[in-house]
Amino acid sequence: MLELIQGLSDSILNNLKLYQVNQNDIIIAAKGDLDLSGYCSTSYVLGTKEALITIIGDGDKVTYLENKDIEKLSCEQLVSTGLLIATVEGVDYILCQFTNSCLREFSLLCRLFEKIKQGQVLEEKDYKMHELPLTCPKCGSFYEDPVRKICPKCFDKRKIFFRVLSYVPKYKFHITIMLILMLISSALNVFIPYLTGNIFYDEVLKQGGSLFGKIAFIVISIALVKLLATIISILYGRINSTFSSKVIYDLKTEIFNALQKLSLSFFNSKQTGTLMNNVNGDAMNLQYFFHDGVPYFIVNIIQFIGIFTVMMIINWKLTLLALIPIPLVTYALRKLFPVLGVLYSRMFRQNSSLNSIISDSINGSRVVKAFGREEAEIKRFSVVNRKNYEVNVNVNRINQTVFPLIYFFMGTSSLIIWSVGSWLVVNDQLTFGSLISFTGYIGMLLGPLEFMTRITDWWSNCMNSASRIFEILDTVPEVEEHKDAIKLPNIKGDITFKNVNFEYEPNKPILKDINFEIKAGEMIGVVGHTGAGKSTLANLICRLYDVKEGQILIDGVDIREISLQSLHTQIGFVLQETYLFMGSIAENIAYAKPNATREEIIEAAKIANAHDFIMKLPEGYDTIIGVRGQSLSGGEKQRIAIARAVLLNPRILILDEATASLDTETEKQIQEALERLVKGRTTISIAHRLSTLRNADRLFVLENGQIKESGTHEELMKLKGNYFNLVKKQNEALRLRGV
Amino acid sequence: MSEITYLKPKNAKFFRNNNGFLGLKFNDVEYSRVNLIKAFPFSYENKFISVRDKEQNEIGIIEDISLFPEEVQKLFTEEIERRYYLPKITKIYSIKDEFGYSNWEVETNYGRRKFTIRRDPNNFVNIKANMILIIDVDGNRYEIPDYTKLDKKSFKKIELLL
Repeated sequence: MLELIQGLSDSILNNLKLYQVNQNDIIIAAKGDLDLSGYCSTSYVLGTKEALITIIGDGDKVTYLENKDIEKLSCEQLVSTGLLIATVEGVDYILCQFTNSCLREFSLLCRLFEKIKQGQVLEEKDYKMHELPLTCPKCGSFYEDPVRKICPKCFDKRKIFFRVLSYVPKYKFHITIMLILMLISSALNVFIPYLTGNIFYDEVLKQGGSLFGKIAFIVISIALVKLLATIISILYGRINSTFSSKVIYDLKTEIFNALQKLSLSFFNSKQTGTLMNNVNGDAMNLQYFFHDGVPYFIVNIIQFIGIFTVMMIINWKLTLLALIPIPLVTYALRKLFPVLGVLYSRMFRQNSSLNSIISDSINGSRVVKAFGREEAEIKRFSVVNRKNYEVNVNVNRINQTVFPLIYFFMGTSSLIIWSVGSWLVVNDQLTFGSLISFTGYIGMLLGPLEFMTRITDWWSNCMNSASRIFEILDTVPEVEEHKDAIKLPNIKGDITFKNVNFEYEPNKPILKDINFEIKAGEMIGVVGHTGAGKSTLANLICRLYDVKEGQILIDGVDIREISLQSLHTQIGFVLQETYLFMGSIAENIAYAKPNATREEIIEAAKIANAHDFIMKLPEGYDTIIGVRGQSLSGGEKQRIAIARAVLLNPRILILDEATASLDTETEKQIQEALERLVKGRTTISIAHRLSTLRNADRLFVLENGQIKESGTHEELMKLKGNYFNLVKKQNEALRLRGV
Repeated sequence: MSEITYLKPKNAKFFRNNNGFLGLKFNDVEYSRVNLIKAFPFSYENKFISVRDKEQNEIGIIEDISLFPEEVQKLFTEEIERRYYLPKITKIYSIKDEFGYSNWEVETNYGRRKFTIRRDPNNFVNIKANMILIIDVDGNRYEIPDYTKLDKKSFKKIELLL
């Protein structure tokens, strides 16, 4: 904002002069990007201590309003644009219009305007929107736009290939041996046609040759050379298998580690199908690349050079003639690269959406069956499957049409050799053996070229996979550990929210200007309608997301400065939806504290009222649960989750609808367990059922992302506001149900 | 049995306020400013439009704007265009992919635009046959009303994304 004020153009300043306003008087400013009818334009809203001036376009429309006349300045967000509205004498006026890109700037303008109206003097910190890293954490270069964390240097697509190769140097030993073996094997391969051509026909079969008649010798020599070549290729293959598998193993580890470090927001925005494809499929593709692609590529290049040299020595004119078709073939291949890239990428996408539909339908199978929608699901699947099929057919057809044609053109080299070579032999300018060697060589020369056509598949597939993998590796986690994070091994449990604002999607605020203080050991109940922002509040305390504006303090320290480890080991979470991992019940209870003793586990289960039902299971605490294991009821799962939290012995406990969706008897048991758990900890309990919160010290009523009321149950009842209404409504509902 | 209150030309009088907003007089109550919100922004653009007051409480629903006289229809269209500001992409100059993002430069019915989208299926949505909705990193929306009607060069640039 300050830069904007400094950089105002002369024409804008001239406009201001008409109202006797100088550049130095301006203390707030925002720049919009639309005119009032929505066309691209620039607009400036500039404010001094006395007045607010709006200039649209190059002064096409200028509005001058005195601050004292403006009752309120506000931003109104429409679907993808915003309006700056000034309320004058109770009537709203539109000052200017802008796209979402400018919304932050304009909301800051409104906030600062409010401060000016209250007579406050603006300080430099007031102008800060919120902290955004300005540089790329990898290379240190500036982002082109601080709002978008795109590093122009690190996001270079051409570097993908080299980046893939950059995984190789770790394995110097393997590579050196492999290269030596490759060189020997290439040399042998080049020698064989010479042996079977020039030497066999010109020296052994021809009268007067240096080896005339020594058939056994030559046959044994050929057999030995071939045997040697085979042994080397076996050795090579064995080393290569370990090497390429190791590269992929490392890569998969790296992707999975990166996934674990990423913030929750990443997983919410990606389809799970795509993610699973990323980890497995893409790493497999790269394995092909390392295993088949790169090594053969190098072998073929070396062989190509070797063969070419020998051919030139035998007869350079014939060699050059035979090479004529090669530029044509190379040109055709170069044209093919991008087309295939596009096709493979599309095939991948189709596969992903097919996988998504399959997992969608299987995960929702209960709903599908209950509504009898099997036929509809089959139809839904077949639409995508059909598309998938079409894309596959398309790709394969192109492959099957183009490549045979290319092979044919490559074959014209042999035609040239047969015609010109035979003519040379007849005219005694070339020996018969050389012609035989030549035909052998040209076949081998075409081999590498043929290979290059096949490498296009691999290449496009692998580069697509690689770019997707690097996308994950390069995603900067939104929640990052502070460089000098403070370790707080013994949190007391004071929680403070200072002007906290939060949104999941740009410009769709979920929490607005939340302020409160919770003392250590207090139990706070949070009530409010669905979507009021209750769970978001909990997510923020755990730092699953970072606040967009404001601060959350624990024991007076900003949670962004506390090490994530001390935060997560001392905040316990019991959610409505409990996720149990594959493993035994004991392992699940000890999930957050793997070194717990058996006694501790049993004790935790007892506190959580879980011990008895666990003992009823034939395998007790060793019962395997999770995806393939025993299925537990909702209440049982919930009690395991509570035991998990008990065992962690957290200083701060968050209960997010922990008892919703349970029957009354189970709820009673869990309620008991929770009451034991809550003692002596700061607790934030989010609940629909107000009865659950009867022990709360204070209650917060959240509505539309703001705390509307707070106080004890009695205080709020006296207030006769939102809370009173909620209680009344629930009592009525309970009465209706006859509970 | 109907839970829906319909606003009809007979009982609802719409007018343009002097401050530029849409006003309404309905059942003897005058609203100085009402908002129009589409229930089916893509499938029924001009039908089922919810009319809400300043606090976003629903006053009623317009079943079909064509039931209203032409001058009122014009008011509706203006109001809707402002709320659902959605530049229509008529030509694509360039799309440059950069790791996870793509930078677009396009011509729209509201002028030339540059924007960046995150490469994510949710930001490039095939809403209905041949129509594509694009959402950029700032949450701005753009529309390709019918991609088969784009010129060949522009179409080639988005072909891969379809």
